[in-house]
Amino acid sequence: MIKHRLIANLLVHQGNVVQTRHFKRTNMVGSAFTAVDFFNTWTVDEIGVLEISHDRTHLEKFVGIIEELSRRCFVPLSVGGKIADMSLVHRYIRAGADKVMVNSAAVETPSLIEEIASAYGTQCVVVSIDGQADAAMPSGYRVMIDNGRRATELDAVAWARQAAERGAGELLVNSLTHDGDKRGYDIALVRAISAAVDLPVIAMGGVGKWQDLVDGIAQGGADAVAAGNIFHYTEHSTKKAKEFLIESGLPVRPTTFYKLQTSRRVRYKPF
Amino acid sequence: MTAVTIVDYGLANIRSVVNAVEYLGVEVALAATPQAIDAATRIVLPGVGSFDAGMRGLRERGLIEPLARRVLGERVPFLGVCLGMQFLMESSEEGVEPGLGWIKGHVRRFPSGKNFPKVPHIGWNDVKLPRPSRMFAGMEGGDFYFVHSFYVAMEDEAASCASALCDYGGTFVAALERDNIMACQFHPEKSQMAGAKLVQNFVTGAGA
Repeated sequence: MIKHRLIANLLVHQGNVVQTRHFKRTNMVGSAFTAVDFFNTWTVDEIGVLEISHDRTHLEKFVGIIEELSRRCFVPLSVGGKIADMSLVHRYIRAGADKVMVNSAAVETPSLIEEIASAYGTQCVVVSIDGQADAAMPSGYRVMIDNGRRATELDAVAWARQAAERGAGELLVNSLTHDGDKRGYDIALVRAISAAVDLPVIAMGGVGKWQDLVDGIAQGGADAVAAGNIFHYTEHSTKKAKEFLIESGLPVRPTTFYKLQTSRRVRYKPF
Repeated sequence: MTAVTIVDYGLANIRSVVNAVEYLGVEVALAATPQAIDAATRIVLPGVGSFDAGMRGLRERGLIEPLARRVLGERVPFLGVCLGMQFLMESSEEGVEPGLGWIKGHVRRFPSGKNFPKVPHIGWNDVKLPRPSRMFAGMEGGDFYFVHSFYVAMEDEAASCASALCDYGGTFVAALERDNIMACQFHPEKSQMAGAKLVQNFVTGAGA
């Protein structure tokens, strides 16, 4: 059977991996390459990388990082950030992305979802939705864009439905108030969206303990669970997360180890 | 170690396959011409895209005859990946072009509807090994990464050649092996250590 996925998300700010809280950058963690090598070894099922600098001046460096990451990433790689039209989508794909994540641009130009889907297939389009609790909205959640800095008039669940109709392959659901707060996912938001669409939903934002991952799937109805901050400072973190999910009885991919003859000739460009 | 020739027929993003082979310390050559196929000692046929576009890409580059001569005639070790596995069959419900027909069998569309799981089949799924094979040497099944809407059906020769089976609303052929030919529907280049192990089994296996 199809397994629930554990996804490690890396936020890259001006070329460095950082942690965030409420969408604001906090600590610098270090090199994206070290992080990806680490996640590769410890059985994470997918890796997401987002460019979150405030302007586009570091974009060239970021595309270079993606090219290099794809050489050493042997799980599906999703890349997002700064996408405004198809030009950067093509560049991310050419750099080695298996999927692209779109957020603000999809809200401003919803036809972009269709464009990406028709060029690369629906499996390539991850629409990322940042929700904020707001009693004025029918579902109780408003869609925020521009890294959470700008409010839209969109209801989170209505937008999720529209994104699905337009050809999104998956939805990544994050919460402005839960991001970096270590109190678990915004379960009500995740559940509202996963109940409304027939697409895989990825829960993101707020994981502080392994039980939060289980809750995202079991209570939120998410197909996949993502985290960023928690993986950076815990030793063997993704392995422990996986073991916890397995012990909870959820179908996930267990760690398998094989002795491989990798070459010393494999050399990576310094970052 | 032996070099691996990866067939480049113009539509697939072959970078991740190249990366996976290079990661194992094996030199990669890309082949877009009959001459490059003639020079190959191991051949990987990757594939992302549609069946007809892929078969036309192979034909327009004049690659079908040299591939058949090298793989069927001279028994050069061969690995087909995803669409590269489907090409080995006689036909596909995805298109009108005939397949290579090296293995008797057909590519079918996953049924859609309320009683069937979502199409495309995307994600990590486990495979069962119906018989020992060289491609899965040292492995006992495991999870692999799939992205596809069409599958090689458990019928004809494809059923007897099957080296791995997967269940998704029914059993389909996840991998097959016959003589020097190996093929898998999943993406070993995206299947982490299990995928790397399979690629290693291919590049270190006995052959030309």
